[in-house]
Amino acid sequence: MANEKDLYSLLGVPRNATPDDIRRAYREAALRLHPDRRDTHGQTQLFIETNQAYEILSDPHQRAEYDKRLEATESKQVETACFRTLVQQSRKSLLQMDEPQVHYVLLDINAVEDLPSLRPAINLGIVIDQSTSMRGPRLDQVRSATLAILKELRPEDSATIVSFSDRAQVVITPDQARDLAVARARLSLLQAGGGTEIGQGLEAGLSEVEKSFSRQGVNHLILLTDGRTYGDEDLCLSLADQASRQGIGINGVGIGADWSDRLLDDMATRTGGSVMFLDTPKAITGLLHGIFERLGSVVASRVRLEGAVAQQVDLRGGYKLLPEPMPMGDSLPMTLGHLPKNNRIRLLLEFVVHPLGEITQLVLAYLTIAGDVLGRGAEPSVLPIQITSTVSRQPDPDPPPMDIAAALNQIALYRMQDRARHEAELGQTTRAARRLENLATHLLAAGERELAKAALGEAERLNHTRRLSLEGEKVLKYGTRALLLLPPKAGLS
Amino acid sequence: MIECPACKHQEFVGTVYCTECGSRLISVTPVPTLNIPRDRLDKEAMATKPAAPEGPELETGAILGLRVLATGDVISLIGRDNYTLGRSMEGQAILPDVDLRPYDAYDQGVSRIHTELRLLPQGVHVVDLDSANGTLVAGKRIEPQVPVPVRHGDIIQVGGMRLQMISRFRG
Repeated sequence: MANEKDLYSLLGVPRNATPDDIRRAYREAALRLHPDRRDTHGQTQLFIETNQAYEILSDPHQRAEYDKRLEATESKQVETACFRTLVQQSRKSLLQMDEPQVHYVLLDINAVEDLPSLRPAINLGIVIDQSTSMRGPRLDQVRSATLAILKELRPEDSATIVSFSDRAQVVITPDQARDLAVARARLSLLQAGGGTEIGQGLEAGLSEVEKSFSRQGVNHLILLTDGRTYGDEDLCLSLADQASRQGIGINGVGIGADWSDRLLDDMATRTGGSVMFLDTPKAITGLLHGIFERLGSVVASRVRLEGAVAQQVDLRGGYKLLPEPMPMGDSLPMTLGHLPKNNRIRLLLEFVVHPLGEITQLVLAYLTIAGDVLGRGAEPSVLPIQITSTVSRQPDPDPPPMDIAAALNQIALYRMQDRARHEAELGQTTRAARRLENLATHLLAAGERELAKAALGEAERLNHTRRLSLEGEKVLKYGTRALLLLPPKAGLS
Repeated sequence: MIECPACKHQEFVGTVYCTECGSRLISVTPVPTLNIPRDRLDKEAMATKPAAPEGPELETGAILGLRVLATGDVISLIGRDNYTLGRSMEGQAILPDVDLRPYDAYDQGVSRIHTELRLLPQGVHVVDLDSANGTLVAGKRIEPQVPVPVRHGDIIQVGGMRLQMISRFRG
């Protein structure tokens, strides 16, 4: 029996969608994807698929037949899947009431145990900012860190080094990367000078990584920058989307205080990567080494979360907690990236559930985890999951599971930092300063004295200068984000 | 909607942490709510003999209180697994769970968020939250951020204010 695609997810409608909803979603998709509007190949293919999906789902008879086939396909996928999931929910049952309620779902994604433990081939691109501000210790450290990575390459690996300022150039090709003497000589030619145009560097870097793309391996790009890019943000984001479609993860590394953290975050989120902040260039070697190590332990790559939520439900936000903390935005599909061996991808989803009628059970979301298990042929492994909750009139007296409570505690801190920064930018300095003071209190109670001090310092700064320091912004953002990784502490309030 | 007890912000039902001030809205380890008549607690407080040091204090639900030595008032602590001690001030967003302002806390050098009482499985602990004037347990200054066990009858000094721990449990 052929595998059925999830047409509901293709149209972005819940499975219990009414014919009206399906028609509306189809029209919206058709407008967006019509070949007269855009003629890229992928779009046209998607347009044809959308048409076929609508043809089936709009006919009640065909839809019923399709639903049966879909169910059969999914139960087969569950049996053969290479992924396992553990779903925890903040409450055992939803409340039946006339106002919206919040519901949290913690999703752990593991690989099944009996996978062969092979080190995958790594196809790595390192994109280096060589703008004027990188001059001196920054570029020196980047050079030696890059060389250290090249020394660790195995015969099956491939590495490319691209540098950029106002324009990009390939410093080391995969062939040159294998010869350390040549690589060292080429790296020493790297001189700082010029502006920062991340789009240029990214474009060149991605096209190099694409050339050596391997379905059986991990494909990844590391972007090192210390500056702001102006005017090419859209190019950067569309390149990130392209990387995401091809299954190339992007890690951003920001050095110093003045770089576009929001752009790097957005790019990394779209590709399932992460962003790290270095206040001193000294740590670069250790950091690159860490990333390279983790790439070597990946068992599944190009992992995505697809699907749709029920009609009464909105996805308000998602946070990836493991293997690297990253906010994921509020729309499906989400690109989750690489799944490391002996680890898991942990995702916290926040749903708003609108008033429910007289029902006793609700499927909040039909989700699918899809990804390539490395060394397991060309077919992606797919695991459908349903997030189901009972609905009752009685509130659940039990507190949320420990894992969810701990994660939410850390997310609350991250969000406070985010809101304070937003308020500071809107000129609401008093509110922002007070929020940072609150944050400091919570951080202190959690034993994070350095971060608490930074928050208080920024609050004071806000009262005096009416703005946050560039460095403080990043210390707080990446500091509170790093807390998402920490296990809960005993007796924490 | 539910209301955050710390900042009065309205949140959707099911929210675990207030989005405005970050306070926890749901107790993670529920402590049973007990109704204890005031006079009984006072009588217990007057008993100067400390409780025998036995067993984990939380096993049966502790009865907890603090006696302000200067006035003899007893503050009872019920329903949570941790309490922050401090003093409130005009316009302060995060209030301590136990507000010592009525007892002249400002003049006694009590910080706004000074000390925390934590009910751990091993018993009641005091944690100094990096207060300006420090916390003393039984006359000894304690390290900030390090939980120190306290027993019934122990004197906890926050700044210049002396509080006596009342901690009894039902057999």
